[in-house]
Amino acid sequence: MAAASSNKRHSILPPVQAGGPKPPVQFSSSITIADSAILTGPHLIAIGSESVIHPRARLESQGGRLAIGRRCIVHERSTLGCAPANRPALPSPVGLQTTDASLPGVTLGDYVTVEVGAMVEAGNTIIGEGTTVGVGARVGKGAVVGRHCTLTPLTVIAPGDVVPEFTVVYSNGQRRTDRRGAAGLRNKGQARQIDVLRRMIPSNPGKFSQ
Amino acid sequence: MSRRPPRGEYIETDTGNKVARKATLVGTQNIMLGGKTVIQPEVMIRGDLVRSVQSSSSASSSTGAPANNTAVSIGRYCFLSRGCCLRPSGRLYKGAFTYMPLRMGDHVFVGAGSVVQAASIGNHVHIGAKVVVGELAIIKDYVRVLDGSVIAPNMVIPSFSIVAGQPARVIGEVPEGGHEDFELREMYKTVGNNVNPAPS
Repeated sequence: MAAASSNKRHSILPPVQAGGPKPPVQFSSSITIADSAILTGPHLIAIGSESVIHPRARLESQGGRLAIGRRCIVHERSTLGCAPANRPALPSPVGLQTTDASLPGVTLGDYVTVEVGAMVEAGNTIIGEGTTVGVGARVGKGAVVGRHCTLTPLTVIAPGDVVPEFTVVYSNGQRRTDRRGAAGLRNKGQARQIDVLRRMIPSNPGKFSQ
Repeated sequence: MSRRPPRGEYIETDTGNKVARKATLVGTQNIMLGGKTVIQPEVMIRGDLVRSVQSSSSASSSTGAPANNTAVSIGRYCFLSRGCCLRPSGRLYKGAFTYMPLRMGDHVFVGAGSVVQAASIGNHVHIGAKVVVGELAIIKDYVRVLDGSVIAPNMVIPSFSIVAGQPARVIGEVPEGGHEDFELREMYKTVGNNVNPAPS
């Protein structure tokens, strides 16, 4: 009786307004990308096999090309390749193409999870295999995060910072090394999660590939 | 009853829910609102992440539609501020990955920009702005979560606690007589299409 969302009412999904040019893409055939994901920018966006892009995730290639590895999960509202924090917006894509075309913007390894609302700034930022970027975390421009790291929610990694592999960054920037040796287990869990998500998220890679 | 403008900022349902048109609700058929709940613009609720492994008792009755497919259920007089995000939490259950439904009681306030991935939230809970509630956390009744807290996954917060920090810890207790502050009836009246009801 208390159900507000009756069948008569349409799903309230406001249309996505993606400004700027449609980027060239290179999708593996087995990816799952939600219809309402937002892809912008002039450079290539490559997504490896079995990766999942949730609705409303933002992939921006203004600051260089974007490479996402195999079996990554990019959650809703996260932004890959956003402009650095001190600059409100990147200059026009035309001007950038001449300077940054060869530089990769963001590179995600395999089995990377980018949680809700996390931001990864563009500028040769590298996130290693099996790393989790927590809810609302921010990885600065040019930072290199090693393999199997955990960035807990609201962590900020400074631009150009290097995080060694198996590091846990928590509580406003404290660090420790993860010695559980659960990396393989985590990757297996990620694969299971992808199996479920593939059935749940209606995929529409065709929308982005023209 | 006062006449309604044809197209306001909010959609007001028969049960008194006020849902902003600019809210992003994914999988609305799996979202239950208890009534008198306010959903502000830019709120995101992931109703599409439903439980994929049914408990063994209900799995046997596979005929017809699944009995309970609710991903997010919200009680009465809840207030979801601008930009917050509600999503069910996932975990491995009997070797398979599944999402667990997010249950929210009555009079729950969720501050702006917060991300809630809890398993259950009790009644009269106040969650501040920019809070992250980790996966499968359980928050009991009359809890106040201060701004910017990060509640660790699987944490259980007892009733009448005040929690804060990154990771969040219990830093105090709700004082006696402090329960009145959790009431959201007045707040419910402050938003909507016509805040000042027109004299019939």
